[in-house]
Amino acid sequence: MNILEIDRLSKTFGDFVAVDQVSLSIGEGEIFGFLGANGAGKSTTIHMIASLLRISKGEIRLLGKDITKHANFAKKNIGIVPQEIAIYEDMTAYENVRFFAGLYGIRGSELKERTLEALEFVGLGDKHAVYPKHFSGGMKRRLNIACAIAHRPKLLIMDEPTVGIDPQSRNHILNSVKKLNEMGCTILYTSHYMEEVEEICTRIAIIDHGKIIAQGTKKELKAIVTDQKNIWIEVRSTENADPGKLREIAGVKQVEIEDRVIKFTSDAGVNNLNKMIQQLMADEIEIRSVEEQEPNLESVFLTLTGRSLRD
Amino acid sequence: MNIWRIALKELLTLRDVKMLVFMIATPVLLVLILGTIVANGFHGSVAVGEIRVLYTNHSQEPILADSWNRFVEQSGRSGIAFERVRASADGKLEVENNRYVGYVEISDTGIKYYGNSRSRVESDIAQSMITAFEDRYRLASAVAKEDPEQAGVLLSGGESTDHVSETSVNGARQPGATDYYAIAMITLIVLYGAMTAAQLIETERKRRTAVRLLASPVTKAEIFAGKVAGNLLQNAIYILVVVLICKYMFNVYWGEHLGLVFLVLLSEIVFALSLGLGFSYIFREKAAGSILMMIIQVGAFVGGSYFPVDALSGFMRTVADFSPLEWTNDALLQIIYADHAAAAVQAISLNIGFSVLLLVAALLIMKRREGL
Ligand SMILES: Nc1ncnc2c1ncn2[C@@H]1O[C@H](COP(=O)(O)OP(=O)(O)OP(=O)(O)O)[C@@H](O)[C@H]1O
Ligand SMILES: [Mg+2]
Repeated sequence: MNILEIDRLSKTFGDFVAVDQVSLSIGEGEIFGFLGANGAGKSTTIHMIASLLRISKGEIRLLGKDITKHANFAKKNIGIVPQEIAIYEDMTAYENVRFFAGLYGIRGSELKERTLEALEFVGLGDKHAVYPKHFSGGMKRRLNIACAIAHRPKLLIMDEPTVGIDPQSRNHILNSVKKLNEMGCTILYTSHYMEEVEEICTRIAIIDHGKIIAQGTKKELKAIVTDQKNIWIEVRSTENADPGKLREIAGVKQVEIEDRVIKFTSDAGVNNLNKMIQQLMADEIEIRSVEEQEPNLESVFLTLTGRSLRD
Repeated sequence: MNIWRIALKELLTLRDVKMLVFMIATPVLLVLILGTIVANGFHGSVAVGEIRVLYTNHSQEPILADSWNRFVEQSGRSGIAFERVRASADGKLEVENNRYVGYVEISDTGIKYYGNSRSRVESDIAQSMITAFEDRYRLASAVAKEDPEQAGVLLSGGESTDHVSETSVNGARQPGATDYYAIAMITLIVLYGAMTAAQLIETERKRRTAVRLLASPVTKAEIFAGKVAGNLLQNAIYILVVVLICKYMFNVYWGEHLGLVFLVLLSEIVFALSLGLGFSYIFREKAAGSILMMIIQVGAFVGGSYFPVDALSGFMRTVADFSPLEWTNDALLQIIYADHAAAAVQAISLNIGFSVLLLVAALLIMKRREGL
């Protein structure tokens, strides 16, 4: 059964269309990845699901019920981890979680238990009496999550929960997400980080300029690019490199230069590696290594949008 | 229930000791400083002086009238002037206007004395003389026995103090500098609360907690009401503490109707809160702050925060009537010093009336908006 169904959802701000006819559905128990560059419309979509923004057009159903008509039902079953940390600095970690959980109608000893459980879950059990102003960025991010799970939502929406934190906190968060999922929580996970999405998500949708441009399992998405190959050539210096000329090589679709690596996206059917090397040598560029990349979500994204996800 | 949870959350800021001390110390220090510096410009207490007492005699009893006239004559020689007044209303008014230390009403049912509490010493002297007179008169009438029945009625109860009943006419009491600035500074601080109120919803937006509040199964109106209730309680607690500190540490006089004084202050707290909150919705964020600042400062200048409104005249006096501080200060002065409890009604009506308008405006604007 689908926990969430989004049907031709649109959001306009004045004349600007931020979300354009988005349709997707998420099954119960999934970790659904929502990928998109800055300003693609991820947060706007999420905010409509969480009843934070009005829907301009289209429909959202949670467990079969229209969320505008059954706002309270939807709100009770959804937890949101906002992109920006949303906690009270002048309340302890415990008080923060308890306050928000209390708004979901949880009372008394149950409220206390759930609060401590949520803090324990994100690894802040021993810090429950601490004010968040003494927390590191990663700890605040974890508290941000605890505030969204104490009421045990069926659908947890996470809007870039790992932005700007240390690797340790990131791992902790990713593990928590997996654990929550194992406990039966469906997760809508938004991120800039391809590796994260590749690691934890069962299905993925890619959004660009407010439109869904692809969705499916990792395998399905990567199949989009099997007719392509990615060749990365590491060089001593890219000073003399001329992307214009490199792009003229037969079969080459795209050339990107990053640090000292020249990244070619090329038609898989054309044998053009020697031409690439010849051109570089002609430009007196010293080659250090050549490798062919497995297709990954990054290359899927690049192929579909013509841009790299991280700018 | 949700409203109460949100209100309680707001009250947690009371834990911030630094904030608490600041909120309470500021008005207290201002009262102390202004009270001391400006003391000379105010009428504090009256020096013991001339004793003039007004009286009316409604008694049909000739012996009483006779004795009283003799008493008045004698007293005149010892420097205490009893003067006859026509209507009883005039008598009390004259006392209120501080021209006489007391007013005596003589009738067949007894002798009533209205003392001027401002001229406490003089009034006490006059009162004890009247008591002495009554003792003497009772003796005289007992000896005369001309009309024992009448005398009996007149003197029933036996104890002279039963007849010379004292009623305080507080009207003439005037605030000293500390008394005055206790009122003026508290009402000013309360109005400054509008600045904080203008940030009330803004802080939720800035901290992004607005997102969480809105995502939870709580209506916008509940969030709004919870924030308002919390802020109201918080300010009420601050003000209660400040009033009590003024009362017990600086001996500020709060009159006979402390409850009413609090009620008027509470209505001003509601007003300040609504003003700030309302303006934060009606105007752009930054504009709201500047407009509020202007209202508060002009309101304070003409509304009696730095000097009594009586000092103003002409155009400025007219402007003063539009200052929320003027109507609140005036009501408090009347309640405390003129025993004029009804003055509360006007101030409370104005404060609450404007509050309702502002809050409704804010609510309507908020309902139409996305987010808080
Ligand atoms: N309230 C608003 N008014 C006008 N435009 C808005 C508003 N909110 C978002 N937008 C615009 O809508 C577009 C989508 O924004 P959104 O926040 O959904 O992007 P995003 O995919 O979450 O990006 P990011 O990765 O930066 O968080 C952006 O161009 C943004 O500027
Ligand atoms: Mg976003």
